[in-house]
Amino acid sequence: MNAALEARDLIKRFGGLVALDGVQFAAAEGEVLGIIGVNGAGKTTLMNCLCGLYQPDEGEIRLAGEDVTGRTPHEIAARGVGRTFQVPRVFRRMSLIDNLLVPVLRRRATDRALIDQAETMLERMRLIDLRHNFAEELSGGQQKLLEMARMLMPDPRVVMLDEPFAGVHPTLCRFMIEQIEAMAAERKTVLLISHDLTSIYRLSHRVLALNQGRVIAEGGVEAIRGNPAVIEAYLGA
Amino acid sequence: MNRPNPSSRSADRERADRIYYTLAALLGGAVILYFAVVPFVGANLAFHFYLMLWITMASGFNVSSGFSGYMPFGYVAFYGVGAFTTAILVKKLGFPVLLALPFSGLAGLVLALLFAPTLRLSGIYFAIVSLALAYICRLVITNMPEEMTGGSFGIQLGSQAEPVLSFYVMMATMMLALGTILWLSRSRLGKALRAVRDDAEAADMMGVNITRVRLYGWLIAAFFPAVCGGVEAWYTNIVDTETAFNTLITAKTVIYAIAGGLGTVSGPIVGALVMVWLDELIWRQFPLLNLLILGLATVLLVLFLPRGIVGTLLRWRPAWRRYVP
Ligand SMILES: Nc1ncnc2c1ncn2[C@@H]1O[C@H](COP(=O)(O)OP(=O)(O)O)[C@@H](O)[C@H]1O
Ligand SMILES: [Mg+2]
Repeated sequence: MNAALEARDLIKRFGGLVALDGVQFAAAEGEVLGIIGVNGAGKTTLMNCLCGLYQPDEGEIRLAGEDVTGRTPHEIAARGVGRTFQVPRVFRRMSLIDNLLVPVLRRRATDRALIDQAETMLERMRLIDLRHNFAEELSGGQQKLLEMARMLMPDPRVVMLDEPFAGVHPTLCRFMIEQIEAMAAERKTVLLISHDLTSIYRLSHRVLALNQGRVIAEGGVEAIRGNPAVIEAYLGA
Repeated sequence: MNRPNPSSRSADRERADRIYYTLAALLGGAVILYFAVVPFVGANLAFHFYLMLWITMASGFNVSSGFSGYMPFGYVAFYGVGAFTTAILVKKLGFPVLLALPFSGLAGLVLALLFAPTLRLSGIYFAIVSLALAYICRLVITNMPEEMTGGSFGIQLGSQAEPVLSFYVMMATMMLALGTILWLSRSRLGKALRAVRDDAEAADMMGVNITRVRLYGWLIAAFFPAVCGGVEAWYTNIVDTETAFNTLITAKTVIYAIAGGLGTVSGPIVGALVMVWLDELIWRQFPLLNLLILGLATVLLVLFLPRGIVGTLLRWRPAWRRYVP
């Protein structure tokens, strides 16, 4: 069987800087793959390549076996990939409901059905009372929730979360962890980026450790926790 | 007001939609009534003709800037090309005016397609390139053979002047523009455009085909000024490059649209109404200082109401956003 998401020998350069240097991995359906690494390791760049925002200089990206290298972001989104951002990127001057409608604008369903679905999603994310507000009127944590809701609207098969816990207070953190567990339970493939190890170790089935654009370790949580290369990358930095 | 129950939520939604469309109908009805009676009651035909023209221009500009996030400083290019299209078709090829006007709109669409590659640019770069392209359009028409464009004297449309009929055609154009924007503001295309305006990359990653959506918005924004140019050529019976490509036309369009508030249907209507009337009053009182005072009023407006009249109202009362077209 094909992996839900697979990257082969990805290389991405920014001028002289090699941000990704032969990254390779595969993630299965329903799997939570944690991606760790210090600041500047290449985590966000990897995610940007996977969702088509950056074109890798070399390598290949496959979704459920289909080669999607070189596709535009909206073509990749249409194949069931959703994401959130390290710094929230909401549609500032649109209501929360309209924010949620954006990823499903090309669905055949009636507007009414889609709005119902958006309200249900906002209810799940505890944002329902703010549904008519502009997204710019939300707090930082609420914007992260809004992004998560927006990502889930089209029921994507692969979701990528870039630092979902950064700058989020503990109660909200716990709530987001539950949501991520729910995504895995729905058999979504989850790519979870964080430089914070605790939450990653708790949620991930498998972990990929990046350093200077290279995969320095890959495996189960226990193996990664004790891996000398990982410890050195974190302490040596 | 925020009831948790889904069925009361949908009732609340229907109520909000009813208010929205009732307000739209009232506003539209008031505008139609106001302008429709102008020729009958002997009010100033020219003043109201231009009032409708500015409402249409500002509304078209709103699609580009309020919905799509582009500031075409060369917006007058569509107007000028539309004006010359009608003038040339009527005077040189003997078209009836009403048949020529749709070709003005078409010319606007063709020009928009030619300029479409500039949609890759953003912010000030787009604005400046747009300004340069408008200048190029003017140069091209100025340098076309005199038999065609009438050279520096311009084209006289001759015996074609029909002030009252062209007044009503302007009114129909305005209603078409307002109807289009009312539709757009609630449509999926409108939501896609707003998403692209707020964050194009994010919209792309959410599945929006940003190139296509931007092109659609751009075509809508180009169509109406081109028709306006054609109707105005008919109304004044003369077209020359100096007036048809005058940068002041862009400036006024931008000021009126921003004064009312970008991104809403009613904003440009309110902005044009207020500012054109203000312009008229100032001009009557201070014929010499009129541009200076108008400029000052604009500066004050932008300083104190950066989101325009309607935009500021909605910022002060966010809950009304659902009700105000
Ligand atoms: N758009 C870009 N242009 C130039 N350099 C970039 C760009 N994006 C990332 N980089 C560089 O690539 C490296 C990896 O960055 P990033 O992927 O953001 O790291 P992480 O998310 O792991 O903190 C950094 O050195 C960063 O400066
Ligand atoms: Mg990062």
